[in-house]
Amino acid sequence: MMHVNQATTGAPGRPLVSYRTLWRQTPQSFRIGLVILLLHVIIAATGPFWAPYGFSQMGAGIPLSGMSWAHPFGIDQLGRDVFSRVVHGAHIVILLSISAAALGLLVGAVLGLLSGYVGGWLDNLLQRLLEALISIPFLVLALIAIASAGPDLSGNPILVVLVVALVYAPRIARIARAAAMDIATRDYVTVARLRGESAWSIMRRELLPNATGVLLVEFALRAGYAPVLIGSLGFLGFGLRPPTPEWGLMISENRALIIITPITVLGPGLALASLVVGLNLFTEGLARILGRTVRLGNQ
Amino acid sequence: MPVLRLIAGRILLSLLTLLIVSLIVFAVLEILPGDVATRILGRDATPEALDLLRAKLGLNDPAPLRYLHWLGGLLSGDLGQSLASSRQVGEILAPRIYNTVLLSAYAFLLYLPLTVLPALVQAIRRDRPVDHGLSVVTLVLLSMPDFLLGTILLFTFVVLVPVLPAISLVDHSSSALDYLRAMTLPAFTLAIVMAVYAVRMLRDNLIEILDSEYIRMAELKGLSARRVLLRHALPNALVPTLNVTALNLAYLVGGVVVVERVFSYPGFGSLLVDSLQLRDLPVIETTVMFAALVYVGANLIADIAAVLLNPRLRTA
Repeated sequence: MMHVNQATTGAPGRPLVSYRTLWRQTPQSFRIGLVILLLHVIIAATGPFWAPYGFSQMGAGIPLSGMSWAHPFGIDQLGRDVFSRVVHGAHIVILLSISAAALGLLVGAVLGLLSGYVGGWLDNLLQRLLEALISIPFLVLALIAIASAGPDLSGNPILVVLVVALVYAPRIARIARAAAMDIATRDYVTVARLRGESAWSIMRRELLPNATGVLLVEFALRAGYAPVLIGSLGFLGFGLRPPTPEWGLMISENRALIIITPITVLGPGLALASLVVGLNLFTEGLARILGRTVRLGNQ
Repeated sequence: MPVLRLIAGRILLSLLTLLIVSLIVFAVLEILPGDVATRILGRDATPEALDLLRAKLGLNDPAPLRYLHWLGGLLSGDLGQSLASSRQVGEILAPRIYNTVLLSAYAFLLYLPLTVLPALVQAIRRDRPVDHGLSVVTLVLLSMPDFLLGTILLFTFVVLVPVLPAISLVDHSSSALDYLRAMTLPAFTLAIVMAVYAVRMLRDNLIEILDSEYIRMAELKGLSARRVLLRHALPNALVPTLNVTALNLAYLVGGVVVVERVFSYPGFGSLLVDSLQLRDLPVIETTVMFAALVYVGANLIADIAAVLLNPRLRTA
């Protein structure tokens, strides 16, 4: 946990500790991660206004030309500026990843807390169902869910969000359930129960606030791998549709050009990898601030 | 015998999980999409073609009956016929699984040194530039999607330093050397992805153990640094990473789907992607069930091993 220095009292209305002191106390990984994330968010928010070319604008330069000042990531087969496409894609990747992780967190947390606190047959039933969902490798589950949705919905961003949330929810539920079972043994929960509070009220007022730290780290971890999962779906041809400038899809489209202009693949790759590095560092730092351990990885 | 009962319980639970997986797979692929025949043939299909396909797939029966029929087929080894090539599903699947098993074994072989060597170097040179440098490398690799890593390896060893083939086409007539060459890049990709996950944990374990009293004791007894590290610290640091290795096996089942695609390696992962594109339902269902079977089996073995290795669990 972070130690807040109570001695440094400031003028009334100002925080007890200056923000600079708080910032200095955060782990280095958190700070570096946050800076990388902020850069990505700024590019995502402002990119569409200053990107030199449109994301599907052809004739931006000589097709298949390499790195230059005018076109830092080269030009693809269709004559589109890859750098502009990467910049235009940033908000798509970030928005979809955050929505997917948030939806997965919502569903997973409700199921997990319910299952862990209520217990009994409900817990047993949910556990078997979630266990079965986890037993299907996450990419395979995502692929059959997309196949199930059919051709009319394929390439729909909402479908991608729903599918990623479906893959994440059982995994988040498992963490939330363990947290709920741990918190349920605490005295304050017993006291609340003796006060005659309902199960729903205990879940909302006792379990949820005390599980926030665990759930926050879990959210950050999942949001960090959502770009990879969305990219993998795009790469395999089951995610977003061209000409959407989603980074995984761009890597897949330009893969055949890697012999001629490697930068058309490495550019989107750099964007994707740096976003995930930032999110991973941020998650690791956040976990340390909240006094938790997190195992980074795509499982 | 409590141990036997515990193990029997785990086995029953695994079978139950697989049964539920089969229900999910059937529901997702055959009930949720509505009319499966239209889904496979597209909306422009003639009514005759649709009727023919419905009869072939037995779609005219009620759903529960179709499920039982399908499950019965899976259990008795009658996996049905592919829609795309009208060959038996088992006949299509077997060589693909063989290729993927070979690839996975190769990847695991590479995984061990790729995990142990960097972690050892980091633990010996802890908090030195080498340690920090390797930490940054593992973090970057950990954050890199497997399809990007594969593509970069492909570019490096096929285009820049042309030592390996770009496309990994092999079948049972290929020679052992061809197989080895075809599998090297995909195996390295899978091994690196698995290893970076374990390296970080092994490094921390090693450093913790090197600080412990029994290691100090071993050093005081006058054992060489090398012997202390390799015979006393490493084996103890490896035990907790067994759990990660089980998780890595689970990753492998899904990871091959992308990595085989990158290298056009004819394994079970690329079969799944191909059959999804062709909407070849019998093949899709069987490959998904196979993936779940491997996952559940690996977890079961890890559970049983944990029970057998841990005396405290044995009496519980």
